[in-house]
Amino acid sequence: MLTDILRDVRRALEDPILQESVSRAAASNEENVARVLSHYPELAKLAREVEEAKKRVLSRLDEYIEATMESLRRVKARPYFAENGEEARELIARVVGSNKLVVMSKSMVAEEIGLREYLEMNGNEVWETDLGQLLVQLEGGKPMHTLAPAIHMSKDAAAKLLSEKLGLAVSSSSPDELVASIREFLRAKLTRADVGITGANAIAADTGAVLLVENEGNIRLVAGMPRKHIVVAGVDKILPSLVDAFKAVIVQSAYAGLYPPTYVNITAGPSSTADIELQRVYGVHGPPEVHVVLVDNGRREAARHSVLSEQLRCIRCGRCQLECPVWQHTANNWGGRVYGGPMGLGWTAITEDMSRAAAAAMLCLLCKRCDSVCPMRIPLSRIARWLKRYYVCAFTATEKRQP
Amino acid sequence: MDINSILHIIAENTLRTGLPLPAPRDIAYHWAKPLNLPRSGSMFLYTGVMYQLMPYIKSFVAILERFEDSRLAKALRLAASPKLTGLARAAIKPERDEIELAESILTSIARLLARAGINYAYLYEDDMYTGVILYDMGLEEAFQEHAARVYERLRRRGAKKLITVDPHTTYMLRHVYPKYVDGFDIEVVNYLELLDEALAGRAQPAPRLWSGERVVVHDPCLYARALKLVKQPRRLLEHAGLTVLEPRRSGRMTYCCGGPIEALSPRLAGRIASTRLRELREKAPVIVTMCPICFVSFSRVAKNETIVDISIILSKTLRQDEEA
Repeated sequence: MLTDILRDVRRALEDPILQESVSRAAASNEENVARVLSHYPELAKLAREVEEAKKRVLSRLDEYIEATMESLRRVKARPYFAENGEEARELIARVVGSNKLVVMSKSMVAEEIGLREYLEMNGNEVWETDLGQLLVQLEGGKPMHTLAPAIHMSKDAAAKLLSEKLGLAVSSSSPDELVASIREFLRAKLTRADVGITGANAIAADTGAVLLVENEGNIRLVAGMPRKHIVVAGVDKILPSLVDAFKAVIVQSAYAGLYPPTYVNITAGPSSTADIELQRVYGVHGPPEVHVVLVDNGRREAARHSVLSEQLRCIRCGRCQLECPVWQHTANNWGGRVYGGPMGLGWTAITEDMSRAAAAAMLCLLCKRCDSVCPMRIPLSRIARWLKRYYVCAFTATEKRQP
Repeated sequence: MDINSILHIIAENTLRTGLPLPAPRDIAYHWAKPLNLPRSGSMFLYTGVMYQLMPYIKSFVAILERFEDSRLAKALRLAASPKLTGLARAAIKPERDEIELAESILTSIARLLARAGINYAYLYEDDMYTGVILYDMGLEEAFQEHAARVYERLRRRGAKKLITVDPHTTYMLRHVYPKYVDGFDIEVVNYLELLDEALAGRAQPAPRLWSGERVVVHDPCLYARALKLVKQPRRLLEHAGLTVLEPRRSGRMTYCCGGPIEALSPRLAGRIASTRLRELREKAPVIVTMCPICFVSFSRVAKNETIVDISIILSKTLRQDEEA
């Protein structure tokens, strides 16, 4: 396992575009976050409040899941609980059906459960609408950062992909031109799509409101244009109230260096009107159906774990990745199948494979830089140290069996 | 080389010889022989053998780097562990001048302490390696066993207070040993903290023997983030007459030298070291380190930069002072 990770790491070290763009992204994130936090000092206080709210939920996770399901029903959304990735895929596939046109906005949980591939296998046409994530889809690779999935790709490589895979006549001379051609291509899909699938940055247990934060503007279209909106989210995204959930998305965008966020979307149930004779009619401009799939996939068990539970407070701002010396030279090539970098060690252990997470942890420097920047004060290096110990115990046990 | 083989060499060697790599046992105290430091007291200098291991680590990493993708690595993986340690012993060949440099750093530290009027004794053969690499690589059982032995030796010598000289040893003794070793109650003070205190208590300012030369400081991660030892080295350097420059990432946000993973991925570790060195070099060609691991990491990739341990640069004050 570690041999595979070391091979991926070596490949990353030999990739000059990845090296250049990751190092540029890291420097600009560092600057942006510092600027945001000094202009808006109240954000650091908000982060403490979100940390406390998250702790509250995680200490009574099952109750909060139940409350969230109840609130979702109250606002006429349709809640589901999926114990693992397979169950989540199945549930969503049933809601989607087949021969449908599906548009998605970037979601790490969708990646985690292999949703896009599964829906395609079921005979649907599926498109990612986040620009970076679309490039990743076309490349057949994996997202290299939580918020900037195509961070490893040059504009030449992007142009080549778009012309080869989508037949778009683009030259790489200008990012404007690339963006315009993608917009045109995706707009045609968005207007005809049957189903829109989004993740969630936060879900409020008290109201069943789903919050999504973004800058591109694709999420509001994915969530608003098709007749069905499916939300897929980990149960770690639950916050006690709508106010807490709002704070969480603000904190996430601040620590990603993207503050103020261009758009925050709130969805609390389907679109409706009672303008004609006070008769409630669902699906006016927005979707008449909102389905919310809450995914466990190891999270509830982790919530009871003395070390891994800390990871569940993560709001996936990706700052630990951008500040980590190892990640800055490898991007998500260092980590699990989906999650990489410092936060990726814990998330891989929780949702994917403990052995893979433990092997990756062996490359952690234990320099504690991630600990110092995490807005949720997750002791990431402590998680890495625990995983290193797991690695050694596992290999010692194997050696004893095969002397 | 296969990681499991590396873990094997390190754990087996530490438990058998007290040192993580094959090296002569007297490397711990060979440097102190000409100094005639007292053997008994209650406050002891404890080097933790980190500086002394520098040349051995550098040689070991050079071997690993050469074999990172080679067939020999696969062959080594198949070798039984005692054979592996034997191979490592034969292959690790430290450079003479690097051994002398490590010894001169420790000699400088000893003299700086003496000059600051600090009375201390030395542990000689009881100056042991803390086992930090076992702890950092997840070899906790081996670490715990080794740490208990270290404590037993210290207890028998009657150590009440230890003076440490590097971040890893300081961190291990101050924060990790109390959690892993029953009854560990030895006070731990770092020599930079002691020198800084002595400076503050001085009636007359010491003569400035550097004349404003520009140096850039590299904070070790543990000093900066775990031990809050950031201001002291700067005060000492400035007091010696140097102009201290800060790199882009410094103090609490300092950037790792890559050293902690050099045994697992020499190439990645080297790349991290180069990135950091470039950043330091932007400020000045003279780079002050305070940790043997950082020193080795930067030395591996340095081209026209001067990497200098803080004790050497501070003791230049000493030499000229004494001459005066």
